[in-house]
Amino acid sequence: MAKLVGVFASSHAPLIIRGWKDVSAANQQSLTRSMTELGGRIKAAKPDVLIEIAPDHWVNFFINNLPSICVGMGEEHDGPAEPWMKDCPYKKIKGHPKLAHHIVETALERDFEPSMSHHLTLDHGFCIPLWRGGLDPLPPIVPIIFNDLEPPYPTVRRCLQWGTMLAEAVRSYPEDIRVAILATGGLSHSIGEPTMGEIDEPFDRECIRHFEAGDDRKLVDFLNERLPTIGNGAAEIRNWVAAHGAADRRGFELIGYCNCPEVYVGCGFASWNLGARV
Amino acid sequence: MRDYWLSKLFFDLQSSPSLGAEYRAERKKILDRYPLKPEVRKAVERDDVVFLAARVNPYLLRFYFVVAGMPEAEFLKKVRNAGAESAARSSHG
Repeated sequence: MAKLVGVFASSHAPLIIRGWKDVSAANQQSLTRSMTELGGRIKAAKPDVLIEIAPDHWVNFFINNLPSICVGMGEEHDGPAEPWMKDCPYKKIKGHPKLAHHIVETALERDFEPSMSHHLTLDHGFCIPLWRGGLDPLPPIVPIIFNDLEPPYPTVRRCLQWGTMLAEAVRSYPEDIRVAILATGGLSHSIGEPTMGEIDEPFDRECIRHFEAGDDRKLVDFLNERLPTIGNGAAEIRNWVAAHGAADRRGFELIGYCNCPEVYVGCGFASWNLGARV
Repeated sequence: MRDYWLSKLFFDLQSSPSLGAEYRAERKKILDRYPLKPEVRKAVERDDVVFLAARVNPYLLRFYFVVAGMPEAEFLKKVRNAGAESAARSSHG
């Protein structure tokens, strides 16, 4: 049977690539340290497949057809299409259709109804943490897109349940493979809104404390209350919530946090210590 | 509220670098391909961030003005003023 060997989370601010030269030396150092550490931990987990949860930044989907959650089932995905991601080494990214199918079947069995795609383009949200984390070559990836961009969003509660179900799907997959999960996005940021550029570090710190404490109800209540009051980019914390659910709500460890105004994002990096559960 | 054709214009422009280049060179020619309401088209032509912000996803708004070539500082100033201006416009009917 498959093993869940690691659960991770990372920010994916575009300006880490597009505006890196304008980032202060101290913040460059902080971000580089965190991304390198995160990449190192993913590599150390030796995943045969990486499930990655990220939003779609208007690359695959538009408002004429906008899934709340979509699982990438393809044998191959395209690398990022953004012109400023042209130096990213991932042009074609191998998928894992068998695990993806098993995830969708498990989801349906548990009364979840994900959309499916047999060919996705994996934008910066998927690729920046992998690229800057030094993952080359990449393991095969099963991408799962959560709609964190266009309201109404999946509920925080449902995202937590998605994580739990995802871990069950991994553990019930019949092949003897190692599987890791990486959720990307957040923490606080605001894009294209009057608050653009504002970072709410107290919110981010409180959010981190809730992940550390591992109390479902308090985490969900906190996010339900606060997410509507801060910048739209924080909606991506839903992906972290799914990772938290997959890790059975235990073992959250902050790798690093950088309040980085140059990239408009309160950047967070984390892993969940699965310990004896692996 | 989402204006579908405005959203489609912004989506298409950020999806295709060649269309973006064409748009910067000949904005009118591209706009003619989209059935935009007259007031929406006027707002696009005037770079009316407040009007447009109320009708598209904020990420698409942001991507559009990058493609359209508006300097970052100018966009930030306009979008940051959008909240106050929007409130002022609605209070004046």
